[in-house]
Amino acid sequence: MSDPASPEESGRKRLSPAPLNPETGRPDATLMSPQQRALRAAMMDAFNAKKARRFLERQVKHINVNRDLADGIKFLFDEHGRPPPNAPLEDIIDERRRIEYQIKWFEGVLLELNNRLVRVKEVEDYAFEMLSRAVPEE
Amino acid sequence: MTAPLFLLAPPRSYTSLVNAMLGQHPQAFGLPELCLFNVDKLVDLWRGSTGEISENGALVRHGLLRAVAEIYCGEQRTTTVNMALAWATLREEWDTGQVFQEIVGKIDPLMAVEKSPSYSMSVKRMQAIHRAFPDARFVHLVRHPVAQCKSLMAINDGAFSLKMEGFELGEDYALLEPQVAWHDINMNILDFLDEVPAERQMRLRGEDVMAEPERYLAEIARWAGLRDDDEAVEAMMHPERSPFACFGPINALFGNDPNFLAGPTFRPHKPKLPSLTKPVPWRTDGKGLMPEVVGLARDFGYA
Repeated sequence: MSDPASPEESGRKRLSPAPLNPETGRPDATLMSPQQRALRAAMMDAFNAKKARRFLERQVKHINVNRDLADGIKFLFDEHGRPPPNAPLEDIIDERRRIEYQIKWFEGVLLELNNRLVRVKEVEDYAFEMLSRAVPEE
Repeated sequence: MTAPLFLLAPPRSYTSLVNAMLGQHPQAFGLPELCLFNVDKLVDLWRGSTGEISENGALVRHGLLRAVAEIYCGEQRTTTVNMALAWATLREEWDTGQVFQEIVGKIDPLMAVEKSPSYSMSVKRMQAIHRAFPDARFVHLVRHPVAQCKSLMAINDGAFSLKMEGFELGEDYALLEPQVAWHDINMNILDFLDEVPAERQMRLRGEDVMAEPERYLAEIARWAGLRDDDEAVEAMMHPERSPFACFGPINALFGNDPNFLAGPTFRPHKPKLPSLTKPVPWRTDGKGLMPEVVGLARDFGYA
């Protein structure tokens, strides 16, 4: 294999205002000047605001019309309303149950960890207290 | 082990269709978007990357999970996708090239065909493919810049363009500009292909494949060392028969462009080629394509 190709070697200029990051080989906005970054940030803000507005419009439509959130996944179903062959209803229900089970399991683990944290903190506090009492005697 | 074939192209360049078509060749296996070369180690597909234009959401893993479920278990169900998760866990510290090699070895002697448009976002990613598969073949698929950009802007308002930092910068403004992404991705591909021997690379216009599929599919097959008889070409005319040309199980729904998954049947048609010099539809200031974009499009054979 020959030496790795790069824009510098090939002379093919890029149009993106963001310089290429040599580590990732991708344009990197953090390498632009502060003014350029500010302009780009304004563009990103406008883009994200538009995206959020559209998302909210869709959600409001769902709520206003018939609260039918399934509309959001309508594209998965064919013209006869049949689910994808690989995702029968039974699998969807199983997946929901599995996620609910995992959430319960994680909640259980979280509770246990919180209890342990409280106990360890108590021990730690007591240890520090004992230490602070012991130091003056030395 | 039969060396794989990779399609390199910006997104929205007929890659899903052409990949599924080639994958239906009796001597080939069309994979979904594995996105493996986006990262160095397999576990990084799960770790994700940070930043406002991060690309490593859960969707990026769907193709791999579906492929492993199909190849190792012969079907894509929630249970087999869970098996695929376990498969991936066992290999989480592996180099992604090694993971890809195992998959290619498993489907050998069929030729693996893959396209993940995210590979062409960086020359380094394509070089990683070449390191893993020094004998791989590459098809550079191109599409008219106006048609590709229009299509790109129709999806999430052109969010992909942001991943390539595709914007125009003026004295007091910055404007999302998908033609920057079209240009820079194609430049990445050209830079990478400089290091690939001429006999293992091919450039095709997607519009030509859509208009004369039998001719061009047979041409690709011959170039790739595959059969080009009528039976093979007829098989390639049915991308909808691919096991990945539909939505996957609920825990790995995608792995490809949702539009393709919803309607994978191919109908030959002759796409209209827009003008290279008129104002472009995604701008409101009446401006057209940049001179560099026009020049590159002409190099690709667009008048």
